Amino acid sequence: MIDRRLFKMTGMTAKVAILAVLITIQAVMIIIQARSLAVAVVALWELKPPTTIAVPTGIFAVSFLARHLLTVWQNRTFFPFVEKTTGKMREDLMEKLFQLGPEIVEKEGTGNMVTMALEGIDKVQTYLMLIMIKILDMSITPWLILIYLAFMQFKSAAFLFVIYPLIILFMVILGFAAQDKADRQYAGYTRLSNNFVDTLRGLSTLKQLGLSKRYADNVYQVSEDYRKSTMATLRIALTSSFALDFFTTLSIAVIAVFLGFDLMAGRILLLPALTILTLAPDYFMPIRNFANDYHATLDGKNAMQAVLDVLETPVTQQKDSLPALTWDQKATLRFESVTFTYANGQRPALSGISFTATGFQKIGIIGASGSGKSTLVNLIGGFLTPDVAGQVMINGQPLPHLSQTTWQQNFLYIPQKPYLFHATLKQNIAFYKKTATDSAIERACERAGLTDWIATLPDGLATVIGEGARGVSGGQAQRIALARAFLDDSRKVLLFDEPTAHLDIETEAALKRDILPALTDHLVFFATHRLHWIGEMDYVLVMDHGQLVEQGTPSELAQKNGAYTKLRSEMEGLGL
Amino acid sequence: MKSIRATFAHDTWVMPYLRKYKWLLTLVLFLGLMTFFSAGALMFNSGYLISEAARRPDAMIYIYVPVVLARAFGIARPTFRYAERLTSHNWVLKIVSDFRKKLYETVEQKAVAIHQSHQTGDLLSILADDIDHIENLYLRTVFPIVIGWLLYLVVIIGVGVFSWQTGVLMLLLLGVIVVLMPLISVSVNGAREFQQRQIQHAFYTNLTDEVLGLSDWVISGRHDDFMALQEKPIKEIANLRRKDHFFQWWRGFWVQVFFLAAVVALLIWAGMAFTGSKMAANWVAAFVLALFPVVDPFLEISQGASEWPVYQQSIDRVNHLSHAPVTQTPQQSLPTTFETLAIEDLSFAYKGEESAVLQDVSLTVKAGEKLALLGPSGTGKSTLLKLILGDERPTKGHVQVNGIDIASLQDERANLFGVLDQQPYLFDTTVMNNVRLGNLNATDAEVKQAIEAVALKPLIESLPNGYDTEVQEAGARFSGGERQRLSLARILLQDAPVIILDEPTVSLDPITERQLLDTLFEVLHDKTIIWVTHHLAGINHVDEVRFLEAGQFDMQGTPADLYATEPRFKQLYDLDRGH
Repeated sequence: MIDRRLFKMTGMTAKVAILAVLITIQAVMIIIQARSLAVAVVALWELKPPTTIAVPTGIFAVSFLARHLLTVWQNRTFFPFVEKTTGKMREDLMEKLFQLGPEIVEKEGTGNMVTMALEGIDKVQTYLMLIMIKILDMSITPWLILIYLAFMQFKSAAFLFVIYPLIILFMVILGFAAQDKADRQYAGYTRLSNNFVDTLRGLSTLKQLGLSKRYADNVYQVSEDYRKSTMATLRIALTSSFALDFFTTLSIAVIAVFLGFDLMAGRILLLPALTILTLAPDYFMPIRNFANDYHATLDGKNAMQAVLDVLETPVTQQKDSLPALTWDQKATLRFESVTFTYANGQRPALSGISFTATGFQKIGIIGASGSGKSTLVNLIGGFLTPDVAGQVMINGQPLPHLSQTTWQQNFLYIPQKPYLFHATLKQNIAFYKKTATDSAIERACERAGLTDWIATLPDGLATVIGEGARGVSGGQAQRIALARAFLDDSRKVLLFDEPTAHLDIETEAALKRDILPALTDHLVFFATHRLHWIGEMDYVLVMDHGQLVEQGTPSELAQKNGAYTKLRSEMEGLGL
Repeated sequence: MKSIRATFAHDTWVMPYLRKYKWLLTLVLFLGLMTFFSAGALMFNSGYLISEAARRPDAMIYIYVPVVLARAFGIARPTFRYAERLTSHNWVLKIVSDFRKKLYETVEQKAVAIHQSHQTGDLLSILADDIDHIENLYLRTVFPIVIGWLLYLVVIIGVGVFSWQTGVLMLLLLGVIVVLMPLISVSVNGAREFQQRQIQHAFYTNLTDEVLGLSDWVISGRHDDFMALQEKPIKEIANLRRKDHFFQWWRGFWVQVFFLAAVVALLIWAGMAFTGSKMAANWVAAFVLALFPVVDPFLEISQGASEWPVYQQSIDRVNHLSHAPVTQTPQQSLPTTFETLAIEDLSFAYKGEESAVLQDVSLTVKAGEKLALLGPSGTGKSTLLKLILGDERPTKGHVQVNGIDIASLQDERANLFGVLDQQPYLFDTTVMNNVRLGNLNATDAEVKQAIEAVALKPLIESLPNGYDTEVQEAGARFSGGERQRLSLARILLQDAPVIILDEPTVSLDPITERQLLDTLFEVLHDKTIIWVTHHLAGINHVDEVRFLEAGQFDMQGTPADLYATEPRFKQLYDLDRGH
């Protein structure tokens, strides 16, 4: 129930100590409250005039209020700590995200990361608020009450003491059996509601097939079948809370009956008997509260685990191995038998990759899908780390990986779908060079062929684009990425990963005209299966099944009649 | 209050179901009430029991009834509660089945057979969530509030029978807890909910933006800007949560204060009313103790009420959905086999937009012809397909099949058109079931034949479960090219005369693309084909190519003619071939 990492949080122990004190005082208040109420009732029972109960009623009211004020106080004492911890957790998560880069997003999924930072941490907050207070309450309050009861009547206290582990035992036995089933059922439920969303998403296909109307009954039937099977399990699943309920309520009834007999036999007086009866529900209260919030705590615990797991992911080290770097005519990047294996992969995704890139070469990377083109680009960009350090070199210096700050300051990465931020067009273009002047931005737009399009926008460069704002076509997105490259001329390396594959041929042709000038005086890596680009390259790497099977200038490769020629003929097919 | 009325004024999602399952609902409420009644009765009875016993009556018989009752109530409470939880879950699950069907039918009426965008997908998830919300509305708001109010009534009547003045006092004091506080909760939370939605939305958008653009952030090295972007929303969210918590704690406290007032009032009243005789005085403990178990359900009322604003949005959204009217055109059946598809002077503009997507477009496709449509994105290719299928109605001109308007052939659609789009959907079931969707009456042999025709037989038969292999969610078990082939097999079984291809190869690599196109045109050789494509790979398969530019047809002709006569076509074609 408790994650051990909880206690490693700074300031936790001190806060827990204060809470323990407050909860102890609260338990005393509960006892005083019950006692004074009993005194007042007994006074009335003895037919004393109503005025005699003024004092005990007053004590009752004060202790009652104190008890509930203490609840607020506990929360207010603990909350700032929780708030600080979760706030810091959010910040740490963002920091970690920046350090780990796109790799972690790929692993966890975009939606997952966002949900984790938003709802996940909210759940952690709820969890932290609940867990410490409830557990302390459970480990202090019942026992203080029990000790007090033991002074009044040992038998009742003993009964309550014995019943407690029995309740827990039954809860655990029934709970585990039922919980397991319920969890499976819950998984089934998630699957069902996913299925429902899937059916909705597949609706256009159903419509195409003329089945959409008929499917409505199917939706209902599946849901109804699920209901029937759920009810069968719920009957068992709810027994755990039934057990808790049954034992606590019946215990109170049993205590009342015992007390009744003892009173008749004169073994106890009304005052202690009434106090015991009033206190009995409070004895069970903490465990009931805890059980009620069981699911919220479980949820929060899992959420916290997920967050802490990300926070504890090791960060790529040695990002500053490479001294200041300005890529120029003489600079070299060398891969020497580089091998890379994905974390969950059995075989290396890339093996034995060796090549040298010098100066402002234009290097095409081609291969069938799944041949490792993108993995290679990701290694060059430093988003992935090679299996063995020292196999990549810049200007002769062996490096552990290319996630080098100084290297990353030298390149621009242009993927198939460049990401456009929810910001103005201008902010998007100047993303890599915040200080750019308006005229420089306009010049970059001009060179990237954006000017005509910008003229059609209502607010020109100030138009907000990106998710949830004005949509931008795939071709324009590439042009915006291109404008970034034109604007920041200090970055002399360009990494393209399939920039035009998804564009229609006319857009591609027009875009190509504007991309070509950007390539001069740059080191270019261009992964693509659009073969017309190869004519613009002066060196080609041919990938196949994770290996670099051929490399050379396009004309050299064409003469070889090897992998390059074979790939080309496979891609081209028959002509008209 | 007004907004609550407005929500239910045209409601078709909440009220009708309350009526439909009213007996089950009554049972749920009865069981819920009995749960807390038994809890109160147990304490009432126990209070009386020990008071009576303390008088040390001569015989056991005096406390015999309370002794039996104590046990009875002790068992009744958990039993009622267990029954209540089962019945309420059953009730809610029943409603969910109805909801699902209803939502499905509503969406079905509006679904367009082509190009479901990503956003539509998200919208659907939101709607599915809304249904879950309405489910919770019952379990967390409606049931606790109604049960709480019934209990409130029982308490007031129970006390009022003995003394109407005290009854009125209870009515007021407990009324603060069960009526006033929930109302305050709704209004405070309603305002805060609005604020919260805005802040959360901002945070969510920002964060998604940052996560999706992470590689740009990392490469740009703008660490401080990256961190600064989240500072404000993180603080705002923290503030909001703090206010929320504080409100809840103090609300909980004030509920207890008014409850205390009720207990003290009851004690004083008991002190005055029941101190006439020893017999009567036995009731004091009973009344005072009985009130304590009642506070739990009362606390739940405010909590349930404060969740209302969230549910309200969901109800509004689904209600809004089902209210938009759908116009129906009388349907005809297609008497003969397909001969021609004629598009005449067709113009189209989306509702509320001035510029037309298509302008005076005419086109005739005869049975067996194969046509390719090209053009930059946004020139109306997909719109043209929607008009052909009848998902959209033209603003001018018409689309006719054999001289009958397409709007009156919607029931025949599946017999007329087979559609293969960019991402055909595979349902989370077996290969066999997925392909059979093309024709539910197809035999196993026919399904296997179709799979063989699309050249998937070797692959499927090599899988351990063969044709019974699960395709997994959205067909994840198979690659993009394989998914397209499975959908093609489905279309083969469907056996419609006209096949619409909407960029089916856009996400495939060139080798897979070429292979798929070869198979496609081979198995569909006797069909009429309208193929929207983004480039010229496989263009040799068609009889005619048309370019759509800014809503009008531009270049057209056979691929060979165009190559010979149009330099632009030649240039594009060569580029596509890698030259």
